Amino acid sequence: MTTLASAPQETVSVAGPVATPRRRRGRRAGKVTAAGPLTYVLLGLTALVSVFPLYWTAVAASKTNAELAGTPPPFLPDADLFTNIGRAMEEAPIGLAIVNSVVVSSCITVGTVLCSTLAGFAFAKLRFRGNGALLALVVGTMMVPTQLAIIPLFILIAELQWVDHLQAVVLPTLVSAFGVFFMRQFLSQALPDELLEAARVDGASTLRTFWSVVVPVARPAMAVLAMLTFLTAWNDFFWPIIALTTDNPTVQVALAGLGGGYVPDTAVIMAGTLIGTLPVLVVFVVLGKQIVGGIMQGAVKG
Amino acid sequence: MTIASDDPRVAAAAAPPPAPPPGPPVRRRRRLTRNRWGYAYVAPFFVLFACFSLYPFLYTAWISLHEVRLSDIDGAEFVGLGNYTALLQNEFFWNAARNTLTIGVLSTVPQLAMALGLAHLLNYKLRGRTFYRVAMLMPYATSIAAATLVFAQLFGHDYGLINTLLEAVGFDRVDWESGTWTSQFAISVIVTWRWTGYNALIYLAAMQAIPGDLYEAATLDGASRWQQFLHVTIPALKPTILFTIVVSTIGAVQLFGEPLLFSGNGMTSGGVSNQYQTLGLLMYDQGWTNFHLGQAAATAWAMFLIILVVVGGYALLARRRARAER
Amino acid sequence: MATVTFDSATRMYPKADRPAVDNLDLEIGDGEFLVLVGPSGCGKSTSLRMLAGLEEIDAGSIRIGDRDVSDAPPKDRDIAMVFQNYALYPHMTVEQNMGFALKIAGVAKDEIGRRVAEAAKILDLEDYLLRRPKALSGGQRQRVAMGRAIVRNPQVFLMDEPLSNLDAKLRVQTRTQIAALQRRLAVTTVYVTHDQVEAMTMGDRVAVLRDGVLQQCDTPGALYERPANTFVAGFIGSPAMNVVTGPAVDGGVRLAGAVLPVPREKLARAAAGTGRVTVGFRPESLETAPPGEGVPVVVNVVEQLGSDAFLYATLGADDDGDVLHTADVVVRTEPRTAAAVGETVHLRVREDCLHVFDPVTQLRVD
Repeated sequence: MTTLASAPQETVSVAGPVATPRRRRGRRAGKVTAAGPLTYVLLGLTALVSVFPLYWTAVAASKTNAELAGTPPPFLPDADLFTNIGRAMEEAPIGLAIVNSVVVSSCITVGTVLCSTLAGFAFAKLRFRGNGALLALVVGTMMVPTQLAIIPLFILIAELQWVDHLQAVVLPTLVSAFGVFFMRQFLSQALPDELLEAARVDGASTLRTFWSVVVPVARPAMAVLAMLTFLTAWNDFFWPIIALTTDNPTVQVALAGLGGGYVPDTAVIMAGTLIGTLPVLVVFVVLGKQIVGGIMQGAVKG
Repeated sequence: MTIASDDPRVAAAAAPPPAPPPGPPVRRRRRLTRNRWGYAYVAPFFVLFACFSLYPFLYTAWISLHEVRLSDIDGAEFVGLGNYTALLQNEFFWNAARNTLTIGVLSTVPQLAMALGLAHLLNYKLRGRTFYRVAMLMPYATSIAAATLVFAQLFGHDYGLINTLLEAVGFDRVDWESGTWTSQFAISVIVTWRWTGYNALIYLAAMQAIPGDLYEAATLDGASRWQQFLHVTIPALKPTILFTIVVSTIGAVQLFGEPLLFSGNGMTSGGVSNQYQTLGLLMYDQGWTNFHLGQAAATAWAMFLIILVVVGGYALLARRRARAER
Repeated sequence: MATVTFDSATRMYPKADRPAVDNLDLEIGDGEFLVLVGPSGCGKSTSLRMLAGLEEIDAGSIRIGDRDVSDAPPKDRDIAMVFQNYALYPHMTVEQNMGFALKIAGVAKDEIGRRVAEAAKILDLEDYLLRRPKALSGGQRQRVAMGRAIVRNPQVFLMDEPLSNLDAKLRVQTRTQIAALQRRLAVTTVYVTHDQVEAMTMGDRVAVLRDGVLQQCDTPGALYERPANTFVAGFIGSPAMNVVTGPAVDGGVRLAGAVLPVPREKLARAAAGTGRVTVGFRPESLETAPPGEGVPVVVNVVEQLGSDAFLYATLGADDDGDVLHTADVVVRTEPRTAAAVGETVHLRVREDCLHVFDPVTQLRVD
């Protein structure tokens, strides 16, 4: 009865915005409006700027300096690319570096995900004395610059005679405050207390609960953390160039050493950069969607 | 029902709900929630943390109070705050601090502003949205070393594509590397290139979490798209924006790889006249070129203090603003 | 099969100023269906969780059968629990969910299979054994949670608001199914709900809790007929019982200028200290009286439900300036003869349907 009276009024107020028709999916969170042409132009430009330097690496890797400076500049790579890649591999042990990077990044990833899941679960769901203070310590660690640790670490690995050994890179990098925090945030939301209680009533031991209930629930976040950790470890630069030399380098160390000759040949440097970056880029193109999803998911949780 | 307490304070406090009646004696029981397991779960992380983070942090503090040479660590000599006072009188430190600040501002402010804009664009209904997102994240997947080497080529004086293009439209070639502003600008471009897409995705995720009916309500209230962005999107994104600012700041203070490799021909300590030497680079130079560990340690602690001050400043600002809004 | 005994069981959360469960004494018979009911925060879930071993017992004890289980971990109590949100393991199939406890207990594989199949048959889940919880409807998930409890063949079933996530229609259906199933299996069951209709329809006995204290534990009929205090009176029954307080006068209590008759003995005992008396009468035990008789009320809203009509009316303030304020009264009447809004109706309470309470202690006076 009362609604009848207000109905015409409502129609009027709706009429204004409806004049510019939009499609909207009501139930979805967030604003969903179709993009205009300008949006596509701007996004296209951004995508171009994002990808172009990587493409340019391939072009520059196949040209001499003089060719690169020509007008108009070249925009397609040519067959010299492979020659230059060969030269780069001679000048720097890039093959070894890729193998090393795979080993180092894989170890760091497995270790970090494991430690982070264990600790993240404890911080999210277990009550123990001092858990708040310990978590604050973890979060605080994220603010500490890498620089603060490297001198003693260097002294340590020098004493252990680990310079140029891969464990010198792996072990210190396993400490990931971000990983612990990330898993904690995920598990405190995704793992209901009831599920743990159900497992207790079902008679599962704490360890059994962890493997049979917590890990399966945590798996999506573990995958995201693994991807991010691998990427970070692969690209890590500061500590590896201190702990390793070009005798047994990771990719980043090898790349840093590439330009060290007296007359730097840009094409060779670019060729080295290209093959050092290619493995990650291939993985990235294949798993891009998942990585994007993971970063966005992590952003909301964090 | 209620037993009056002798202490009037307790009696007053307990007045509305009846005070707990004296039940049977309370026994102390073995706690059923197995909380001691918590320590076992966090142990692997904290063992590593103690060995490779906490111990080094403290050791760095100790070193920063000593005169230590890399070649003779046992021969350390206590100098008190000498390394710190020396640092404050060191023009290289102030130069590096200035450079770090300039590059930090140049790389963080435009980066986050662009990321916000891009996130807004990505939030429209798009064809091929995955393509744009993945493309935008490619720089993030590129390592600092690779990115810097490529950009060093692009910014090269004689053969760089950027100078070639500048010349083509009638400008002079720019010697990016040797100028103070130009080199710092170029380094900021590298940082911005690598991180804009990543931050855009973080903003996008936060935007998608804003309930759609908020926009519908704003539309009914007659807000234009721009007004919706200002009055709905930005306020909802405030915590995320603060988060990215903090993360970018921490990264900016530690900036190291980009200036190290920017000359394009091996490692430098920040240009011929240190025109782009950052604090991270200075610290590396002190420790691994000059083998002066005490100085390097003091610089590292100074960097940490700068981060603490800046992040603390943000937190204060955010709190004050939040209070003002209330 | 077993009895369950709460013996002065108390739970005090750290830093809380009063116990969440306070000296709970409760005897649950073998095979009995006992419902714990009360408003949120009354301690009903905590009581159940103390019995499950998920919550510590700070004082007193709990026994299952003759065994004191106060310190036993959940797995040693021979209980099974149905959780409010079902707590199904998301990565396991229905079959694996139901068999998980048996698998941990080391039961042989074919025995597990047999028992899961049996439970699935009872619960009509046979077609869904290989699905994951995500692919099930709410009602099916609820049944899987039930199945997980049944498979274990425990001494006691614990159910924590198992129907609260179902829509209204399904809830009514499932409610009867659970009650029937429990009677068939004859397993001692403790069931927690905040819904008094659920409590009344399902329980052999119902225990009403408030602020951690047991108010009354009795059969549904007895709770309705003889509530022990005004809280139980107001909590059990829908719409709630009308409870009003007024000055005691000769022969009854004065309300809105009229006198509602109260038996002399009860009146004397209830009004002994204060000269006032609290009375309760259910909407369904009111009838209209001719003008001049009964208590006058003014009708504010009329709710037509088809089978019944409810009048929401105001009991006027007492005319000689007594402290009595106006009170809202709900009346059930015949839909056809319902009064109109604004009309004054005179009410009287059917014989033997008036509840009398002490205005200070709020306890029933008999």
